[in-house]
Amino acid sequence: MNRSSRSGLWITVGAVALVLIWEALVRLLDVRPFVLLAPSRIVSSFADDPGFYLSDAWVTARHLVVGLAIALAIALVAGSALAAWRPFEHAAQPALVLVMVTPWVAYITSVRLVTGPGTPAAVFLVAFVTIPAFVYATVGGMRGADPAARELFSSVDASRREVLLRLRLPSALPAIFTAARFNVGLGLGAAYYAEGAAGARSGLGESGFRASALNEGPWLWTTILCAAMLGIVAQFALILTERRLLRWHQSQRRA
Amino acid sequence: MSTGAEAGIEVVGAAKRFDRVDALATVDLTVAPGEIVTVIGPSGCGKTTLLRLIGGLETPSAGAITIDGETPERAKGRKRVGFVPQAPALLPWRTVEANARLLLDLNAAVTPPRPSDPVDLLDRVGLAEFRDAYPHELSGGMQQRVGLVRAFALGAPYLLMDEPFAALDEISRADMRHLLAELCEPVGAGVVFVTHSLAEAVYLSDRVVVLGPRPGRVVGTVTIDLPRPRRPQLEDDPAFFALESEVRALLLTGVGR
Repeated sequence: MNRSSRSGLWITVGAVALVLIWEALVRLLDVRPFVLLAPSRIVSSFADDPGFYLSDAWVTARHLVVGLAIALAIALVAGSALAAWRPFEHAAQPALVLVMVTPWVAYITSVRLVTGPGTPAAVFLVAFVTIPAFVYATVGGMRGADPAARELFSSVDASRREVLLRLRLPSALPAIFTAARFNVGLGLGAAYYAEGAAGARSGLGESGFRASALNEGPWLWTTILCAAMLGIVAQFALILTERRLLRWHQSQRRA
Repeated sequence: MSTGAEAGIEVVGAAKRFDRVDALATVDLTVAPGEIVTVIGPSGCGKTTLLRLIGGLETPSAGAITIDGETPERAKGRKRVGFVPQAPALLPWRTVEANARLLLDLNAAVTPPRPSDPVDLLDRVGLAEFRDAYPHELSGGMQQRVGLVRAFALGAPYLLMDEPFAALDEISRADMRHLLAELCEPVGAGVVFVTHSLAEAVYLSDRVVVLGPRPGRVVGTVTIDLPRPRRPQLEDDPAFFALESEVRALLLTGVGR
């Protein structure tokens, strides 16, 4: 058995063990469905109406992907400027730190009032909370570009654009991917919460909020697990993209 | 514009001070077109600083530098100088061939006068079969060969090399200096080569300029009148040893021994 089959086997063993322990704990401790639902019941709840959950998951996935894309675009522009000029970086710190530490649960009403309810609020919140990690990754990655390579670029008077696109940006890619993996979880939380709290018409968060209000444990837990599955799919897609784009990076090489 | 009278690299009274540290005392140096000049000296004497001043990567605190009559900044803008840094500085996301083309790809609006085919050069340095490999798949010596090809591919009339073999083991280092001589001789580029190695200095150069300890100043120059083309067996020649001794004696004089 080769190394990747072995690690695949152990991941499966871990996943099966997790599900079995979860199922056993819920049954043995007789946990109420609203507090924690057994995996078997989540599966049967999903199987009762898969189209309902899948269409909500599709809405949440769109909120997540669009929000992350906007955050990444803003972070690349802002991060390039911050990496090029240190005073800019210092000046941006208060705003970045404030966005990172302020609980978004607290200001969702303002977001809803500014952007309008539903999709705009969800996309805005996803983008807003994920920008700082992308900015820090972009700035750190760009600053970390090989100094000898920077001199080499300078030795033939390469333009700022060439330095940015051919040296700084590729150097920042590994850090940006790491931030993306962190931001998938963060953004998914923001999307789920904003859909529920900012009056979306559909989405896993909206569905989950209604289930909560109606005290529907199986429904609520199925939306939660669908959101988790969405996160796993997003992480997997990121890993595959990373393997393809960062073949050259040491993180992607076999030991 | 350049004129015949100004041809070559001219360093006149150049000095460099970083904050409170004098890195380089007043230095005068000329390198004729096609001439290979090695700068040798103790660690921290300002060899690399001198090279960076010539390459327009630093500005002198005093004095003036011209390359074929132009300022280093202007020469840099016209891609008249190929630079070989101490570390190979290969871009890990580019293949060997793409790395070899890097200096041609950058600032591409400036057409080099005589670009060489990087594929031909890779073949000459024994890396033809590694064209599509990535830098992490190469040994240190192979990476440095790509660094040399990258500079030679530019076809620039001047090459600046900053201890390019410093990180290699002795055998690889000897191979590299033999290879570099083979690459340099037919090209006819003016070369400023910075090194700590006496063997490299004597084997490669037409002239060896010895700097004293920091702040570096020229303590002497040795003309290397060994015949060209130079081949590895030259290193067993008594004339080679005599020149090595002469350079060593100057180095020791420079450090006060």
